[in-house]
Amino acid sequence: MDQRLIRNFSIIAHIDHGKSTLADRLLETTGALQAREMEAQVLDSMDLERERGITIKAHAVRLTYKADDGQTYMLNLIDTPGHVDFGYEVTRSLAACEGALLLVDASQGVEAQTLANAYLAVENNLEIIPVINKIDLPGAQPDEARRQVEEIIGLDADHAILASGKTGEGVHDILEAVVRRLPAPAGDPDAPLKALIFDSWYDAYRGVVILTRVIDGEMRVGQKIRLMAAGLDLQIDQLGVFTPKPVPVESLGVGEAGFMVANIKNVADAKVGDTITDAQRPALAAFPGFKELKPMVFAGLYPVENSQYQELREAMEKLRLNDAAFFFEPETSAALGFGFRCGFLGLLHMEIVQERLEREYNMDLVTTAPGVLYRVTTTDGMVQEIDSPSKLPDPGRIAKFEEPIIKATILTPVDHVGGILELCQEKRGVQKGMEYLKSDRVVITYGMPFNEVVLDFYDRLKTISRGYASLDYHVVGYQEADLVKLDILVNAEPVDALAMVVHKDSAYGKGRALAAKMRELIPRQMFEIAIQASIGSRVVARETVRAMRKNVLAKCYGGDISRKRKLLEKQKEGKKRMKRVGRVEIPQEAFLAVLKVGTES
Amino acid sequence: MNLGLYLHVPFCQAICSYCNFNRGLLDEALKTRYVAALEQEIRRAPGGTADTIFFGGGTPSLLDPAEIARLIDACRETFDLAADAEITLETNPETATPERLAAFRDAGINRLSFGVQSFDDNELKRLGRIHSCARAVETIEAAKRTGFNSVSFDLMLWLPAQSQASWLRTIDRAVSLEPDHLSLYLLELYPNAPLKEDMARADWSMAPDDDAADMYLEGLRRLEAAGLEQYEISNVARPGHRSRHNLKYWQAGDWLGFGCGAHSTVGGRRWKNLSATADYVERITAGQSVAGDVESLSAQARIEEALFTGLRLSEGVDCARFLARFGVDPWERYGEDLAPFLQTSHVWRRAGRFGLTREGMLIANEVFQVFVR
Repeated sequence: MDQRLIRNFSIIAHIDHGKSTLADRLLETTGALQAREMEAQVLDSMDLERERGITIKAHAVRLTYKADDGQTYMLNLIDTPGHVDFGYEVTRSLAACEGALLLVDASQGVEAQTLANAYLAVENNLEIIPVINKIDLPGAQPDEARRQVEEIIGLDADHAILASGKTGEGVHDILEAVVRRLPAPAGDPDAPLKALIFDSWYDAYRGVVILTRVIDGEMRVGQKIRLMAAGLDLQIDQLGVFTPKPVPVESLGVGEAGFMVANIKNVADAKVGDTITDAQRPALAAFPGFKELKPMVFAGLYPVENSQYQELREAMEKLRLNDAAFFFEPETSAALGFGFRCGFLGLLHMEIVQERLEREYNMDLVTTAPGVLYRVTTTDGMVQEIDSPSKLPDPGRIAKFEEPIIKATILTPVDHVGGILELCQEKRGVQKGMEYLKSDRVVITYGMPFNEVVLDFYDRLKTISRGYASLDYHVVGYQEADLVKLDILVNAEPVDALAMVVHKDSAYGKGRALAAKMRELIPRQMFEIAIQASIGSRVVARETVRAMRKNVLAKCYGGDISRKRKLLEKQKEGKKRMKRVGRVEIPQEAFLAVLKVGTES
Repeated sequence: MNLGLYLHVPFCQAICSYCNFNRGLLDEALKTRYVAALEQEIRRAPGGTADTIFFGGGTPSLLDPAEIARLIDACRETFDLAADAEITLETNPETATPERLAAFRDAGINRLSFGVQSFDDNELKRLGRIHSCARAVETIEAAKRTGFNSVSFDLMLWLPAQSQASWLRTIDRAVSLEPDHLSLYLLELYPNAPLKEDMARADWSMAPDDDAADMYLEGLRRLEAAGLEQYEISNVARPGHRSRHNLKYWQAGDWLGFGCGAHSTVGGRRWKNLSATADYVERITAGQSVAGDVESLSAQARIEEALFTGLRLSEGVDCARFLARFGVDPWERYGEDLAPFLQTSHVWRRAGRFGLTREGMLIANEVFQVFVR
């Protein structure tokens, strides 16, 4: 393929701004799919993706487009994940492109995530084509959206394309703009092979499938290659492109994107951001920007039934085949028995893993409150990374307690600024910047402890701003803080699975709120239950669940004993879903009580 | 083992807003055909010895005394009925005049169970009952003059907007009428009960669980002081007046149910007649079977049920007798699971028996869960 006729581009958009629908329309218009083959949102293939309207994995689809200039172009649409947890994957997908469509909903305007991703695209030297989408909607304000693109993102929006993924309006203009306004790939076809991995997943039949973009040189079936960061030598078994159906090809030339299969068993070996090169004639330097993915959010996942432990392990192993960022290791809790400490990129990632385990693998799970990766220096000078409160050394041995700090970018209508600043202060944030934009919008940047965001920040941000504020964040470093371990005791026994790390100043309030929430969530039982919150040996809150007084059925009507049995069985079944800690039955949701604290305050 | 015979009468003059039993509004023509079908079903039974008959409903006192007599005769002619058989009629105070009561007595009824529910007219109205407190008192007094072996009535507690004080007034009033037997039922609100809607509309609420427990305990204390001894979670009686029919349900006895929706259990086999009145009449008349949901209880299920019904009785379960009958020492099998309840004084154990304390009765479902899987 003539390099000059290739265009690689992605679409940057906020959740729900219509990315998938527009992508479907591009596929349809270029004839990649007949209208009758179209299932809404072809590119979002996982059930979860379709339901939530988000893209979890990247995709690369080759479109053939005969432009108005009479030439036939190869367009590679590289769809990126749409959520903050997958920020690194987004940068790699963008790095595989020369340009991007910046999609803005004509009635919603620019959101924080769009802003963050647009900056990423600019940093990667991408040419950006603003597209104002959903102009068919009654509330559409294309001029306002255009102004926001100029003011907030700082892009020239004079040539923004007005479009509707739903009606197809503007789609032709978009394709023409891609051809005319985006540069062709600039790689050297004769240089040693250098190709960027921008996604990979496990396929039961073919092993690991890699999505890649050839930067320099050429890939051929049978070629001996090397994954530079992984240090792995392999042979290419299969190359292909998605049209969106997978179609095998003999080679991928410079500037092209497609998939590669090379007998890789483990998705962790095909790291996103790694560079593929020729084993015999390796490139001198890898494509820049490779980073090891590191989980930042941790939680305990336990089977409700201890007998499901082995099954849960197998399910997690299968999931990890496809998700190199998901980390787990066995963990034993006195309260919950055998389970796993799991690491995630962020909260959404955690939710996705949890949901997939429950839905695809039929697991019944108890999840403990999420926490972040702390760093503790003990008095003997050793530095430890702490992913669970139970792994904390004695307070007396802690010389330095550090927590991860994020840079949070919040974009909000001006009306909600007051409430948001208050929330950020409460969350121990340090204001880094605040910029009023002409269109009644404000960009607020804060440095904030990640732990505070992990708990309930996002929900509260949405509540305060009635859904209008949007958030983007990334971890920027570690900072020393006055942190303590908050324990919850049930009938005087500390429940390890309920312990958490909190800032000293808020520990008292958190302890009280948590104990009160636990009292609501733990049902009355045969005996009185004392719930205490303590910091070290100091009890800061106490609540009591009084003993149950009444649970009896009076009538045994006309000898209908079967009905009575069914009722008893149903009540007993309800108990099986609880975890027994000592004598006390604790319902699953109580282990996440901390997430529910404060949302109503 | 002597059988208990249960005869179901699914007709009512009005539908109470809390009731979930198999019943419908009275339809005279259907009633006539129904009684004929009921008689036919009884006569079709294989027989055996029996010592109790219980007319339940619905409102069986809506039947004519002659119809009652016909049905009792059918029972006598089909079964070997004990000379001192207990024959109970559930009676709505509104349906009973002194004349009708005498006629029921002459038909063979020797025990009356009145659906009084409350001696507070407001509470009765809230339940959609058609009788008044005065009418109930009048009828009970008439019944006592008429000469029945036993007069019992039902009272309900934990009614919407019922206070501890009004409940205790009802108890005191009941005591003053010197009944032989009383049943105390905690109101159970089934899903979609019209009463639930009424409650929401009128903003009536039920007392908290703790208050209901106090009402139960204090009510029983007053009844026992008046010589009415508790023998089951919901039942008290003067000596010699325990309901022999209902004891069969709690002592893993055998009973045959006749009529639509009636349940039967005989020798570990259990079934339920079809519920719809007209279908029932049609099938019986055509000589067809009405039994459904037929179930053969496993040995294990029989043990479990004997325990969760037997523990409803104040006397509890006798381990040696249970072992002789079911081949299992219940404490040996379940003692470990019951130990926490023993510790919290919800269960007592002495002299080879174990049972529920009164506090234990209030949480009986928690204890009984030990016996199901």
